[in-house]
Amino acid sequence: MYERDTDVVVVGAGGDGPALAWRLGQLGIDVTILEAGPFYGNEKWEAPNDAPGGERSGDPSDLSGELYDEQFTSKEGDMNDPVTGKLRWGPADSDRPPWQRTVPQQALISQLSGVGGTTQHYYANHPRAFVTSVEDQPHWPIDYEELVPYYQLLEETHPVEPAPTTPKAEVFFEGARRAGYGLNDGYNVTESGYRPFPNAIPQPDERLMRDGGEEGDVGGNNTSEYRYPDYEGDTLAMHEHQGGPHPRDAPMRERARRSSNVSLVPRALDTGHVEIRPNAFATAILTEGGAAEEATGVEFRDTWAGTTERIHADVVVLAAGCIETPRLWLNSGLPDNGWVGRGLTTHHFDFVAGTFDPDTLEALIGQRAVEPHQGQAAGSRVDVPGKGGIAVNTFAPGITAMAMYAAAQGEWAFDRDTAGEPWDTAGRLAGRQLKEQMADYRRTLTLICHTDDRPRKENGVSIDETTEDEHGPVPLVEWEAHPEDDARRDDLARRAAEILEEAGAEHVHRTDAAPILLHMQSSMAMGKVLDTGCEAMDVSRLFVADHSALSNGVGGANPTHSGQALALRTAEAVADRYFDGVEDPIGSV
Amino acid sequence: MSHTRGTFAALVDALVPETPDLADRGDEHVPGGLAVGLEEEIIDRVNNFQEADGALAAAGYDATPMAPAVAVLLDTAAAELLVRRRSADGFNSPAEAFAGGPFSRLSRQDRLRALRLLEDEGVFPRLADRFDSAALGTIQFLASSLPILVEFVYYSEATADDGEERSLGWQQADYPGPSDGYAVGMGYEVEEFEENDY
Ligand SMILES: Cc1cc2nc3c(=O)[nH]c(=O)nc-3n(C[C@H](O)[C@H](O)[C@H](O)COP(=O)(O)OP(=O)(O)OC[C@H]3O[C@@H](n4cnc5c(N)ncnc54)[C@H](O)[C@@H]3O)c2cc1C
Repeated sequence: MYERDTDVVVVGAGGDGPALAWRLGQLGIDVTILEAGPFYGNEKWEAPNDAPGGERSGDPSDLSGELYDEQFTSKEGDMNDPVTGKLRWGPADSDRPPWQRTVPQQALISQLSGVGGTTQHYYANHPRAFVTSVEDQPHWPIDYEELVPYYQLLEETHPVEPAPTTPKAEVFFEGARRAGYGLNDGYNVTESGYRPFPNAIPQPDERLMRDGGEEGDVGGNNTSEYRYPDYEGDTLAMHEHQGGPHPRDAPMRERARRSSNVSLVPRALDTGHVEIRPNAFATAILTEGGAAEEATGVEFRDTWAGTTERIHADVVVLAAGCIETPRLWLNSGLPDNGWVGRGLTTHHFDFVAGTFDPDTLEALIGQRAVEPHQGQAAGSRVDVPGKGGIAVNTFAPGITAMAMYAAAQGEWAFDRDTAGEPWDTAGRLAGRQLKEQMADYRRTLTLICHTDDRPRKENGVSIDETTEDEHGPVPLVEWEAHPEDDARRDDLARRAAEILEEAGAEHVHRTDAAPILLHMQSSMAMGKVLDTGCEAMDVSRLFVADHSALSNGVGGANPTHSGQALALRTAEAVADRYFDGVEDPIGSV
Repeated sequence: MSHTRGTFAALVDALVPETPDLADRGDEHVPGGLAVGLEEEIIDRVNNFQEADGALAAAGYDATPMAPAVAVLLDTAAAELLVRRRSADGFNSPAEAFAGGPFSRLSRQDRLRALRLLEDEGVFPRLADRFDSAALGTIQFLASSLPILVEFVYYSEATADDGEERSLGWQQADYPGPSDGYAVGMGYEVEEFEENDY
């Protein structure tokens, strides 16, 4: 068996692992990141879905914008198909099926493998946690102010900036104003209000302003206008979900949507201390010592060759996400204090759509359609601390049909009575009803509700001992809404309907979504499984640096800003406890 | 017409049917999933959903072809719908494109009601509950994945012919396809966020 040594081995190059690796690299600590999926936009893997390619990448000059353009076509079927898409939970080899999970219920899980992890298709929404979710809910053993310096560093680094107003955002803002919400203009959210999203997307060039800017190709299928280096920053192309590769022709790190593979991975490689090994699925955490267990390394499988290898390290960090981190822990036979994999939060999503008459839109925004496919995917929101948030969330048509109209629970819309409700239709759409709704795609504004759902022991990840794949028994994922979380979601859906109604929508549809597991948090929570430095309470030298370490669902705010902030803080705890310390900490550990 | 293909055709036809009534919105709104061979696309995906194991894997297969089993499940659900008198419309003579099994002899809406029995309320979900069986429970997951898959693939570009720029679904949604960007900025509601008190 091939064996190697390093200082720190990290499992998973997703949203948060690279943040920790970057900080460790800055501190001169050698890091190897094992990543189960492919590495897109890297010269070592010219055809990442067809051939094994190289072995590892530690040199930022391996990054290739040209390959990224070739691989990320912006087409939703090519990129997002859950079975065959380039962005899926599965091996790099496109001939093989996705990796399995046992999900004994109606649900949709949307997690990705590959360098950048699930942020490869995220919308780069970077709000901080709601203050009350850290300060007032009983879950966090640290204070909100301890996260702030790490938030600030990320806000400067990515950077995080207010999203521009676009026509669809203005429809939402106007609805929110008429419904009585004031403007929130601070980073720290303590009160209800509307605001542009703080997004990890550099703002667009002034020439992309609608009035006074260039003649836009409104509604057209433009091909080669807004490209780097002529245009830097966002181009308002709305392809975040397809991998966000704009502006075209730019080097990787100049792509506007700052997923971790665009923003943090290059910085980690720049330190000269970080290397990434894609196509490497960790199957066991290696430990020593009986009662006082200590992590010593990781065993993993090369997903192309099928061979097993080991890396020994002074510290092991799990950053495999809310499902695979507990799976790996449990499959390694590590101690379970009852909270390993438990307490999963999901933001219990729902969707509400409003369809508008062209004359209403003309009066409101000076154009006769909403044009959901233009602008940022999610650029405006309403915060309701204690309940969650409501945001504009727009998608290409296939994803719209899937999320808004197909992924619902309960009766089909044609069997539901909505009399007395603030929506005209609810539930899953099919047939003529679906086709009519989709024919109105360009006149429809779609909103998402992110519920502040609370950690509950019955929700989470365990092992399905009866089903095994090449990486061991597969995870068993179960999540059911608690009545209190249902009530919060219902409240948000009613507020969303009111905002659309106030803006003048002629038809409102509520999805009543089945569980959609796409924001996942708190399945290995700090305070339950991890101490305040995110080191495992029951296994020393073992840390967790992904969203599973968050103590709760951060109030319903999009979680990546908090996950990455915590991962940076955890890097400093690692250095402090097992290496030469941190001379100049970002915060104080 | 194999039983599998005919049953998936009946499913596609229930979710994204031909809609002659929508001709007044434009002729492009009339055809549905069967016109673009959507049932084949769905069968391909269902057959490539789950990793092969045991003898199948040993024989060199990557995936377990699940589509025939799913077609049988749909027929089972149709039988349950009828036995429990949940069918609003009873049996019809099957359209030519369909298999002739019980599922494809139901009306469009009854087919969808039958599908729902697999997700919730029906015999399989109840058994899964009673025996606390995750394996049986995955039928609920599989069943609810079907409309998601059908509606996603239909409205994505996947059914476009080679060289065709937009699929039927993209045309019906009037989606122009990928773009390099749009000049649609309208300024800033907030110029910069403040580090406010909390
Ligand atoms: C469509 C969509 C839009 C989103 N938009 C936003 C947004 O705007 N803002 C926001 O905050 N959040 C957003 N999210 C959620 C966000 O992407 C995730 O919460 C975030 O990426 C989670 O980070 P993570 O590090 O916990 O896990 P992941 O990003 O999922 O990373 C885990 C990584 O570990 C790898 N891995 C897993 N198991 C192993 C193993 N055994 N061995 C080796 N590697 C392994 C995986 O392949 C993956 O790369 C969105 C999600 C979706 C689906």
